[in-house]
Amino acid sequence: MKSATPVVAAVGSTKIASEHRGCNIRDLMTEAVLNCLADAGMGDLSAVEQGLASYESDHFNLQMTLGAVLHDTIGMIPKPNVRIEGGGATGALALRTAWAYLQSGLCESILVYGCEKNGRGVSSRTANQLFALSADVDWEMMVGGNYTGFYAAMIRAHMEQYGTREEHFAHVAARNRRQAGYNPIAQKPMDLTIEDVLNSRPVAEPYKLLDCSLLSDGAACMLLSSEDWAKAHCPSFIERPRVNFVATGCGTDTMRLGDRYPHISNFRAKREAAGQAYAAAGISDPLSQIDVAELYDSYSGVEIQAVEDLGLAASGQGGPAVADGAFDLDGQLPVNTSGGLLGRGAPVGATGILQAIEIAQQLWGEVDPRRQVKDAKRGMTDTHAGIASISVVNIFERQD
Amino acid sequence: MADKVSSKIDIEIPEAVADDDVWAQFRQVERITLELTQSYKYSLGKYSRFFIELEKRRFMATGCPGCNKVYAPPRPLCANCLAVTDWVELSGAGELKTWSVLHFSPGSNDDVRALETPYILAYVLLDGADTLFPHLLKAPLDQLRFGMRVRVAYNDGPVQHPIHLMHFVAD
Ligand SMILES: [Zn+2]
Repeated sequence: MKSATPVVAAVGSTKIASEHRGCNIRDLMTEAVLNCLADAGMGDLSAVEQGLASYESDHFNLQMTLGAVLHDTIGMIPKPNVRIEGGGATGALALRTAWAYLQSGLCESILVYGCEKNGRGVSSRTANQLFALSADVDWEMMVGGNYTGFYAAMIRAHMEQYGTREEHFAHVAARNRRQAGYNPIAQKPMDLTIEDVLNSRPVAEPYKLLDCSLLSDGAACMLLSSEDWAKAHCPSFIERPRVNFVATGCGTDTMRLGDRYPHISNFRAKREAAGQAYAAAGISDPLSQIDVAELYDSYSGVEIQAVEDLGLAASGQGGPAVADGAFDLDGQLPVNTSGGLLGRGAPVGATGILQAIEIAQQLWGEVDPRRQVKDAKRGMTDTHAGIASISVVNIFERQD
Repeated sequence: MADKVSSKIDIEIPEAVADDDVWAQFRQVERITLELTQSYKYSLGKYSRFFIELEKRRFMATGCPGCNKVYAPPRPLCANCLAVTDWVELSGAGELKTWSVLHFSPGSNDDVRALETPYILAYVLLDGADTLFPHLLKAPLDQLRFGMRVRVAYNDGPVQHPIHLMHFVAD
């Protein structure tokens, strides 16, 4: 056993869709894993030492011990397996856990596969109820709250405190959906004007329909390993620039927004997670030292709050910075080039892995030229659960 | 697992599949409806006294004897000090700190399902408390503003969840 900085050996995913009518969750997972194997140039999984299942909801999937089921489905028996769950942060927490497995020397290779069927298998009302179970059931859910409402109350506080405007977050909604048009796996690319977003029907004011991210079916897979293992087992690895998974950070915050008072406009957990990850990666000025980032745009305004908490804009300046194009494809730090949760989609257990896949492919220089960030060397993912009750930041670097 | 396996929804049989489709033999799809209903004997645990007092139209919070922080909603244990808290009664008056106007109901229980939309999810700083209490505010939308005075309004039910023995109104 030996430990070294983990490398991204290969990646794969399904198309992200509002409903994969012809696939149950095992089928989706299988497709993502087979695509990852094809990406690796490997014929089977016999050399892979460990599996890690990433999914959030036993309620959506109606199958407990799904980690074992999926491990079995993809032919990983009798290798060891672990299931990771952390709400919306599940996929990123899964990769963070895989990082620790590799760093500890427990294994030299680990297949991280994430999936969820959050699409139209249940009604959107049922989906909202099931998601609300990850809020405080006794106090927030039973009064009639739901996530759109919690986030809406947060961005309203941000608007009041800093003068953030609906046009600012409409920019995010339009930009990310436009960028989804350059991503072949994206669920719902749209060409929208700011006016289109502002005029969409109210859902939980100040959020309108087009400020809200998607419910999705999909799966994603990332094979992480030591460099030596990848060289020995993964033919595609030596064809590509080496991408290291260099740092990971994680923070937490109260379950209920009200318990954060008077700090209800921003995400303390993101500050904690980013602080840890930046320190580990030697980053002191993230705006200039990070080239591409996938931010957790569960709602359009969340991206504005995130750029502040990740140190990419001053407190309260996220709105104007976003609206000025600082985070557009031709801006200082392009974000959500994949389309984000708003445009690519968000099958929960796969979301953090999809974000990491976008970063790896950006660093490899392999995405559609319309969204490729030129010579991207360092990328970041930002993923959270609840209203950032758990937050994870993962950082990847190309080593030339 | 399911209470009922009822009603075939549909079967899809593709007319043609691509020559290079490795799943060509697996493109037929059948969907069915699964229904699963659950009922829980759900303990409100150490929050219970809040709801018992609410029936008597008293609004309770808890205070930490260590750091003096007052929690509404109540916490039985102060997470800062790990001290067991004391129940304290508040007047039920407070200030609106932020809110959202919801245009759909998540239907978490019968009380929520009965709400007319749009409705207001309000975060209120009760006088004497240090945290915000989330609940419904029944007030005209054009009256809403930061810092507006609100108070708890009580009712005798019947309600499905005892949290709905109260809501906020403009004061
Ligand atoms: Zn205390």
